[in-house]
Amino acid sequence: MIYLDNAATTHPEPEVIEAVAAAMASGTGNASAIHRAGVQASLLVERARVTIAARLGADPAGLLFTSGGTEANNLAILGVAQAGGRARGHLLCSAIEHPSVRQPLEQLARQGFDLEILPVDSTGRLAPDTLHHALRPDTVLVSVIHGSNELGTVQDAASIAAICAEARVPMHLDACQSYTRVPLDLGAVQADLVSINAHKIHGPQGVGALWVRPGTALDPVVHGGGQERGLRPGTLNTAGIAGFAAAVALATPARTAQVTALRAHLVAGLRERLPWARIHGPREGTLPHVLSVAFPGAMGKDLFMALNRRGFLVSLGSACSAGSTAPSAVLTAAGVSPALARATLRISPSHHTTRADLEALLDALVELTQPGAAPA
Amino acid sequence: MSHPPDERLDLSGVPCPQNTARALMALALLDEGEVLEVLLDDGEPMENVPPALELEGHSIAARERTATGWRLTILRGEE
Repeated sequence: MIYLDNAATTHPEPEVIEAVAAAMASGTGNASAIHRAGVQASLLVERARVTIAARLGADPAGLLFTSGGTEANNLAILGVAQAGGRARGHLLCSAIEHPSVRQPLEQLARQGFDLEILPVDSTGRLAPDTLHHALRPDTVLVSVIHGSNELGTVQDAASIAAICAEARVPMHLDACQSYTRVPLDLGAVQADLVSINAHKIHGPQGVGALWVRPGTALDPVVHGGGQERGLRPGTLNTAGIAGFAAAVALATPARTAQVTALRAHLVAGLRERLPWARIHGPREGTLPHVLSVAFPGAMGKDLFMALNRRGFLVSLGSACSAGSTAPSAVLTAAGVSPALARATLRISPSHHTTRADLEALLDALVELTQPGAAPA
Repeated sequence: MSHPPDERLDLSGVPCPQNTARALMALALLDEGEVLEVLLDDGEPMENVPPALELEGHSIAARERTATGWRLTILRGEE
């Protein structure tokens, strides 16, 4: 099988599995216990916190571990909007947010907040000016996805965050797809909250984090013990956190460059051999591992199944909306017609992908989608 | 301790056992015999951290009251 769905999840690296197993086998305690086993667990967690925050250029004390990206996004949005018991206010997000951002925002809208969804251009970019003009005195939160899980588009986080900082509006950046893949230095980018996770970068599933800038008003969403400064109670997933840090250590710029080159190879192959294919998203400024491409006239679902039978594992739009027959809201927000959106696949390589894998995929796509081909 | 500490760490407000873990991380970067100065809250942190560091082979050379808590002088032990 050729796995090309790394934007949905990645396969953990052997070093990650080793770090998780070592943490589980070492007899560590609850990272909140004060005996030696608790101290050992806490030591694993605190070392990981330093490693993970360093890749954001951020103070490790601001990093709160969560169960993953969805929880980090929910904590950022619900925790900031409702901080101090606030029940009203203006919320802004882009039209291409992940469901784990869009859904909590819509929940707040049902409860009385005023949610405004900002349009993006045909490449998926939110113009900083659009945001600037939408800010109001009662705006309480701006949430923007850094790298789109569907289109691959990377937003101008620095400009967006600077506008929010000037207006003193907390800004949340959903960096679950971009973390370690796109440079992000929170010394320079003034975002107040940043969601990241492990399993998108060859770490374990079930662990993520929210980085919170000091001074940001945030209330917990889950209530319990006082872990993570009382902002995210619950026993820490020590082994998962150790694996997360191991994954970050392996996520080098060289590896990113390798994936970037594979994506470029795929784009070149599509342009040369499948001129009928329509590539979504911008030419420059995309995630290295996300390629969204439509095959006009094809039914994406049928094409997906035909590729699956041949051992090519790709995605229909976004894995998180799998099962839905409606065209992707993210693609249609970028001006893709419903018919073309339904004919779209997301191809997501990793550094384990080879050029031969991509050539084989291109062969299959030529056969399955060339004009006049029998329906897949 | 007449010479200045080799490293300083402010653990005010850091809960147990995170404070111990962070002190151990700082000590791990020092050589044997070097000195870490730590600011620590009174109460549980002061009860828990010094014995936990001693268990891991370090020694507490001095404890000094500050306006808000304690200043510990820790001598880095052997590996």
